[in-house]
Amino acid sequence: MSQSASQSACSASLPPPNMSAEQAALVEKHPCFSKGAHQFARMHLAVAPACNIQCNYCNRKFDCSNETRPGVSSSLLSPAAAVQRFAKVKQRIPETQVVGIAGPGDPLANPNATLATLKAVGQHDDEVHLCVSTNGLELEDQLPKLLEIGVKHLTITINCIDAAIGEQIYAWVYFNGRRLRGKHAAQTLIDRQLKGLKLAIEAGMLVKVNTVLIPGINDWHIAELAEELQRYGAFVHNVMPLISDPAHGTYFGLMGQRGPTDEELAQARSDAGVSMAQMTHCQQCRADAVGKLGEQVNVDEIPDVVPAELTVAVASRSGEYIDQHFGYAKSFDLYRIGKAGVEALPARDIEAYCRGQNECDEDEAQLRMSRALHTLEGVDVLLCSRIGLPPRQALQEAGISVNTELALKATPEALEQVRQQLLEKSAQGSCAKECG
Amino acid sequence: MALRITRSCIGCNACKLVCPQKAVVRDAHGYAINAHRCDECASQPNPPQCGEICPIECAIVDNEGRALNPLGSLTGIPCEQEQVIQLTELAGHA
Repeated sequence: MSQSASQSACSASLPPPNMSAEQAALVEKHPCFSKGAHQFARMHLAVAPACNIQCNYCNRKFDCSNETRPGVSSSLLSPAAAVQRFAKVKQRIPETQVVGIAGPGDPLANPNATLATLKAVGQHDDEVHLCVSTNGLELEDQLPKLLEIGVKHLTITINCIDAAIGEQIYAWVYFNGRRLRGKHAAQTLIDRQLKGLKLAIEAGMLVKVNTVLIPGINDWHIAELAEELQRYGAFVHNVMPLISDPAHGTYFGLMGQRGPTDEELAQARSDAGVSMAQMTHCQQCRADAVGKLGEQVNVDEIPDVVPAELTVAVASRSGEYIDQHFGYAKSFDLYRIGKAGVEALPARDIEAYCRGQNECDEDEAQLRMSRALHTLEGVDVLLCSRIGLPPRQALQEAGISVNTELALKATPEALEQVRQQLLEKSAQGSCAKECG
Repeated sequence: MALRITRSCIGCNACKLVCPQKAVVRDAHGYAINAHRCDECASQPNPPQCGEICPIECAIVDNEGRALNPLGSLTGIPCEQEQVIQLTELAGHA
């Protein structure tokens, strides 16, 4: 375009759309939404490995270069471990104001892990801003739950609004139980992205749109895309350069698709800047990034935060020993274990998870598992004699650690052993804090 | 009749999330399909769900070892280039 000079001046001063005071406060503390918020830190929790689309700039086999997807080689966290990680980072870096889930797959393709993690982080710290970065395919369906747990920042990656371009960017899209390909896949994704964008903005979320700039594919389309984003009311637009090093093994990388030059990137941002406020300080960080933008923090060096107290649920048939199988427990005895000692809490009743030898209906089993999880809300440790693998994993994903090693021990003895472990851990934790 | 997960699996958990039979299990060694539970989605209106969402070629195979997503079918990357990458990876590990 010929008026690039005046446009870039324009983009620099283009004000974001009208904001409520509440939204202005949201922007102020999020380093990814405001350049002025660089003194605040953010933390990505990598709890979402699954993805429902394949982008040609992403390789699921190892660390992804574009976007916020570190891929499979970085360690993945369970929601419980993620909250632990947040707690210790927050203690070391109190400026951590934002907790986001950005992958390494698509957060909303892993709705349970994503929602459980954000909910638990919000319960741990009610001032932290919760943030999700998605491709938008499942946004419409998951939006009510995101709103319910208080997610107010959202990033959607929209690379184009034209399926003829989209089919060159997306290899496939998994939707409604089928792998879609070609233009149909791209159109499905684009329709769902725009629907989600509209609903999220209407619900008062602050929405950033990321676009990967791919020369020859969507560079000529950026202005049109930005115009549409403005019409929908997106807050800020982040045009990011394609990273296509062949060593990353992406389709684009291997097929020789080059990334944009600095001039091309500046031009695209200036084209988009006619309609959308541009973000230019993006670091294209990973799904497990921690700290201020551009800063590297080694989380493993920070000692774990040891809780002062644990709530323990015990499955006991006799009332004296740890002798009940989780699936057959009709009630759980509850105890609070602290440094001072063990205190009994009121027991909680539950409908047994298993009903007998006959394999039960899957939906029914799931329903009963969710009732069990509800019954065990707030519990940190479950002691039982035995437990099946699926419920064990479900409990662990919900942040409840399951212990069957104390099976057949007398309950008071088992609880004392748990208390000793807690004391040992907190002694180590405080030592690490003093020494390290 | 049951599908299997091969060593190509990257552990992205997607199949476990979509399997209508809850047949996909994860343990310390990785992911596997419980043969008693898997009916290759014969009872479902859609094709096998693990095969539909899996992002990795050759990671899901049938009884006879045939890949639901053969080489070249998912990423569009021509096979020779895929092999070059694997060789480079091997060289890197050696």
